[in-house]
Amino acid sequence: MALKLKLEDGVHEVEIVARRPHLVVRVDGRLHTVADLGPAGDGSGTVTLDGADLAFERIARAGACLVRIDGRTIAVDVVDPFDEGEGAGGGRDEILAPMPGAVVHVHKAAGDPVVRGEAVLTIESMKLQTTLVAPRDGELIAVLKGEGDTFEKDEVIARLAPVEGGQ
Amino acid sequence: MRVIRSMIDTASADFRRNAAHNRDLVARFRERQDAARHARPQRDLERLARQGKMRPRERIEKLLDPGTPFLELSSLAANMAYEGDSPSASSVTGIGVVSGREVMIRSDDSTVKGGAWYPLTAKKIVRALEIAMENRLPVVHLCDSAGGFLQLQSQVFPDKYMAGRIFRNQSHLSRLGVKQLALVFGHCTAGGAYIPALSDYSVIVRGTGAVFLGGPPLVRAATGEEVSVEELGGADMHTSVSGTCDYPAASEDEAIHIGREIVAQWDRPTRWNCQQETPEPPLYDPQEIYGIVPDDIKKQFDMREIIARIVDGSRFHEYQPAYGTTLICGFANIWGFKVGILANNGVLFNDSSLKGAHFIELCNQNNTPLVFLQNITGYMIGREYERRGITKDGAKMIMAQSCSRVPKFTVMCNGSFGAGNYGMCGRAFDSRLLLTWPNHQIGVMGGDQAANTLAEVKANQMRRDGGEVDADVLERVWEDTRAAYQDQLSAYYSTSELWDDGIIDPVDTRNALGIAISASLNAPLGEPGYGVFRF
Repeated sequence: MALKLKLEDGVHEVEIVARRPHLVVRVDGRLHTVADLGPAGDGSGTVTLDGADLAFERIARAGACLVRIDGRTIAVDVVDPFDEGEGAGGGRDEILAPMPGAVVHVHKAAGDPVVRGEAVLTIESMKLQTTLVAPRDGELIAVLKGEGDTFEKDEVIARLAPVEGGQ
Repeated sequence: MRVIRSMIDTASADFRRNAAHNRDLVARFRERQDAARHARPQRDLERLARQGKMRPRERIEKLLDPGTPFLELSSLAANMAYEGDSPSASSVTGIGVVSGREVMIRSDDSTVKGGAWYPLTAKKIVRALEIAMENRLPVVHLCDSAGGFLQLQSQVFPDKYMAGRIFRNQSHLSRLGVKQLALVFGHCTAGGAYIPALSDYSVIVRGTGAVFLGGPPLVRAATGEEVSVEELGGADMHTSVSGTCDYPAASEDEAIHIGREIVAQWDRPTRWNCQQETPEPPLYDPQEIYGIVPDDIKKQFDMREIIARIVDGSRFHEYQPAYGTTLICGFANIWGFKVGILANNGVLFNDSSLKGAHFIELCNQNNTPLVFLQNITGYMIGREYERRGITKDGAKMIMAQSCSRVPKFTVMCNGSFGAGNYGMCGRAFDSRLLLTWPNHQIGVMGGDQAANTLAEVKANQMRRDGGEVDADVLERVWEDTRAAYQDQLSAYYSTSELWDDGIIDPVDTRNALGIAISASLNAPLGEPGYGVFRF
């Protein structure tokens, strides 16, 4: 089983090679033996790495983890294969109308930077006000509908600047 | 499983406004619940004290294992009926732990009109026994009732799901091997006399407990015979002469003590093997739910944010994350129990309906209980959607859901409108437990939509009759319809009529579901199989 961990200096591949008698992991192609790893969880602990003792502190929250070793604090992010696969609408340049309806509120204008999940417009359809969000981080280059405008399903409502280099 | 990454900004103006709104709703709910539980005329409380009787909730407190949770059901039943004369429908029901066993507790409330059964009392008791049957939960009856509320007898007595159903359900429970114990604290008159008689075990308190088909006044009127309560149906007569009751008790406290010892003799059911992990609390504070649910039912919110505050470690394995995105489906654990969650994130389209139906089948294949989190305005309507078969796709979801063999649980998190209520396991679809948040609204359509529809119909009618469309008449139709709707849309009306098993504080959702899922493991899974899916 291979995990991808994102640190400040980039993404590292970690593979568990053996669990017994010692934990053996392959990190970026090099084997390491891990012994005396205490219980998982937040707090301070020690571990024996390739024969040398190492003290550390860790705290984990919502998929991210902070580890402190030798006076340095390192943020460790576990790369989620679900994110890699990109969920609903991920990575597209356009925001499409999910159903016929009308625009209730425009939150962003062309030229605004947006982050993934940020509200761009609120629409109303089927008695429900739905927020249309940015499918990825980027810059809005066009918001094609104003308040009160109606639209059909799958009409393009807003556009993001294409990612440089294209796909 | 991945941790849901919350996008909520707890410092935002929206969050604070929503939180203030929802905390206010919950405070008002707590106030009403507190009144239904405890506010009684002094006169009635004094009478109870004179008789040496405890109040129903004191009895329950003593019956339960100390320090264990009690999930009270339908605490606001009948809150909008009988001009408020029957708080909690004059009865207390709930799931709790007695002598280490999960049981259904059902208690009369003699602090209200002598514990007489109103129509909604009968409905509440029938529902409690239905829950006991579906989950194979032993029942402890705490009896203290004057019998049916005679002024409304036509709504208490004759129909299929009225009082008679209580005794029918008691018989079927016993046949299923589900034990029942009756603790007779006060009178069990007329039909009520069958409760101890149909219980497998019964204890009766000397001096205050009595069981008879007709009380002394009725006997005098019918046959002229003069007889005292004790002589006619008291503890000593029934435990030494008639054999209708099993154990005499000198006081209420002793009756409860004997009752707990009886329950301790019962064998424990074999629970089916639901996948379990070590429970852990959600990563995000459930109190944040208050700031997430909008202050206007029309505003959409991301149900993942709610899931993140209900499930273990806020971890969620989302199924088909990129398909049919208006219905979120996925696996999670609640208090360690593996569940499949279906939660609305918008209108149900063809793809979301198909995804839902498929996911329900996966959970049935995998022996995974289903949790439905409703916030649904309905299935999408319009020419394009009908041509694509939105009706038959919705029907597939209803078929898969109706025929599920795994236990189902429903939480009304916000709106529940139209056929979406059906697909998402509304009341008619046998949820083991259906719980409601105070902000919930329910109806075949929203108030505005119903008013628009009826005004439209009226206008067409006027045109057909060759006349002018009278704007004043239309206005009146609109206003009248909307007003009539508004009252009946509320969570309080819903819970008053027992369309649910009670309103809960949204923060308690995780605990309530945990108790409900645990209880459901007492009953074996149903038989697999579906009807014909229209493809």
